Amino acid sequence: MTQLGSTSTWDEPGSDWAVETHGLTKRFGDNVAVNGVELLVPKGCAFGYLGPNGAGKTTLIRMLLGLTHADAGTMSLLGHSVPQHRAAALSRVGAIVDEPRFHGHLTGRQNLQILAAAREPAAKGRIDSSLERVGILHRAGDKVSKYSMGMRQRLGVAACLIGDPQLLILDEPMNGLDPAGMQDMRDMILSLVEEGRTVVLSSHLLDEVERTCHAVAIVDRGNVIRQGAISDLLAGSSVAIEVECADPERARSLLDHTAFAGSVDVTQAGLRLTLPAGTGREVIAEINRILVHGGMDVYRLEEIQTSLESWFLQVTSKLGSAE
Amino acid sequence: MTSLSDTLRPSDNVIPSVPDHRGSWMPTGGMIATRFMELRRRRGLMITLVLVTVGIPTVFLAIRLLLHAIAPRSYGPAGGYDIFAGLVAGVLYVFGFIVAATLGCTAGSVDLTEGMFRHLVVTGRSRLALYLARIPAGLAIIVPLVAVGFTIVCTVCVLAAPTQLNFSGVNVPANLSSAGLQGWAGDHAEEVICNFGVNIGPATPDASTLNAVLSYVPCGGGGAFGKQPPGGQSQPQPSPAQIRYVAALIARTNYSDYARHFLAPSTSLMIKSGLWLELEAVIGFLVGLGLGSLLGQRTIAVVLMIVLEVVLTPILSKAQIPHMVNLQRAVVGLATAHLTPGGLPVLGGGGGGPGGGGGNPGLLPESTIVAACVIVAWLVGWSALGAWRMMTRDS
Repeated sequence: MTQLGSTSTWDEPGSDWAVETHGLTKRFGDNVAVNGVELLVPKGCAFGYLGPNGAGKTTLIRMLLGLTHADAGTMSLLGHSVPQHRAAALSRVGAIVDEPRFHGHLTGRQNLQILAAAREPAAKGRIDSSLERVGILHRAGDKVSKYSMGMRQRLGVAACLIGDPQLLILDEPMNGLDPAGMQDMRDMILSLVEEGRTVVLSSHLLDEVERTCHAVAIVDRGNVIRQGAISDLLAGSSVAIEVECADPERARSLLDHTAFAGSVDVTQAGLRLTLPAGTGREVIAEINRILVHGGMDVYRLEEIQTSLESWFLQVTSKLGSAE
Repeated sequence: MTSLSDTLRPSDNVIPSVPDHRGSWMPTGGMIATRFMELRRRRGLMITLVLVTVGIPTVFLAIRLLLHAIAPRSYGPAGGYDIFAGLVAGVLYVFGFIVAATLGCTAGSVDLTEGMFRHLVVTGRSRLALYLARIPAGLAIIVPLVAVGFTIVCTVCVLAAPTQLNFSGVNVPANLSSAGLQGWAGDHAEEVICNFGVNIGPATPDASTLNAVLSYVPCGGGGAFGKQPPGGQSQPQPSPAQIRYVAALIARTNYSDYARHFLAPSTSLMIKSGLWLELEAVIGFLVGLGLGSLLGQRTIAVVLMIVLEVVLTPILSKAQIPHMVNLQRAVVGLATAHLTPGGLPVLGGGGGGPGGGGGNPGLLPESTIVAACVIVAWLVGWSALGAWRMMTRDS
């Protein structure tokens, strides 16, 4: 399983990271919300930041954006130390933190005008193109109080885009979006990445993260417990095989007498085998041979692809059982 | 399988960032303009501001104009000095402060309560600049509004001023010199003797004449001044010339009081009053802005400002609380009351002397310099508090 420091690119000193934190800590009284976080987000990718509720995801984002101070540690955005060079760092950052909220009595365009005025002069010229890109240009003249939640999400993304950001930090951007809207958002995130921007996505929709992101970090109780490319992380998880056969109990006894490592469980469908990470396809073929040579009728033998969700549950359940 | 190094190698296409001084504490013109737009488009707030600063005096004066036009004998002229003084000191002063404070509290808190604060901070713009942008934006709203309301009051009070001055219940021509008033008093001796205050001591050399006249004129007190004739003889009947002389004498002693009564407010008084009202509005806005930013929400801030203006200031400006007099002097309402232009009533009633509020014995004494220092301290102090909270607030 890929962990922090176990991969050469992640461990490469002097790399140009979009987000880099070392020992970042934030306490609220006795509660340690963020506990010595070491996070490295490469430039030019979509990066998922995952964790259960209360894990400290939003607190970390708020520290990165200068919305709250850190108690210890260092951090940088796009190579600029924060908070020392906050203005330079945030000049190329767009972010939505929690639910995007705006002045309800103003139109979407007017809200963006306020934000553009606080950015560089060129930002004003990007308002309409940003609204068009998120698909609400036709409603730009309506008051935000009349917007749906999904439209506010889109407006939030437009607010990020007016700064022509190199780095976008989106906290639960799929909230309130219908399936078509989620598809649009996914496509937009991917197109932003294709343009060379970095998108950090905090979400509890693991399926969406898996479809959208190249890499993830898992945070739990203030600690980043895993981070790396999704493909590498999933490659490090156990291999599950489902076997549909005539007599599952006898099939299990056949497999119990063989030497391969792993566990065998009888299920309604037949057998479920859990094999160690890195198990090759030749082992699966060997299992089939054992069953057939044992006189077992095998109707179906299928390797179950590990999803990010199941992997996430594996990781977090291991953490829970370790306590 | 795609390797990490294939897909996630850090990108080299760094977009060069253009220095835009967003770390500077100085707000840009665009920031001020958009902040002004944000406040101006709050329909409810703007309607309230216009109603209070312009609507109330306008409606009041319109009704008076109408009533005077319909029944001039029953209802006096709509304008004039008294109306001006009452509206300026009683309405525009108090309500101008309250609406300015409401605007300030709104400007200081809505970004936070409506969720825009995070968006603004994430732009990287200096938080101090974000705070300071609200000051010119808010003042650009409240200062013209107060000016419009005040201009309407001045216009009506000048153009619809009474043509005769009612002094001590007597219709007297306005703008008379001392000699002119004495001459007029001679012609209206009985009215003057009966209605003007007799401010002549017993040591006057004319005491016997005065006594005789006062005894003769039916409404006069009489018999109180000078030496009575021996034997308790009755007073000789005064001649018409003596009556005219006494009336002129009384008028002369009343002239300083008369001279302070005007048909219409003077230009000087209007200018001073206008500046005084604007000062009050600026104080209300800046203190409200600081308080709103400090508390992070509008309602409590507005209530506190109203309590300060309507309850605490009148009490602390009049009562002398032992061991707390110097603390009372730090109340900004007392300081502005001491700067009341001469000729206007001062805080909590009472006439303003020629020197303004400072001459009012009802107010806690305070020098003009101290009053100015108190005002500056309030403006700077609350602005600093609001800015500090803005810069340190977690969001």
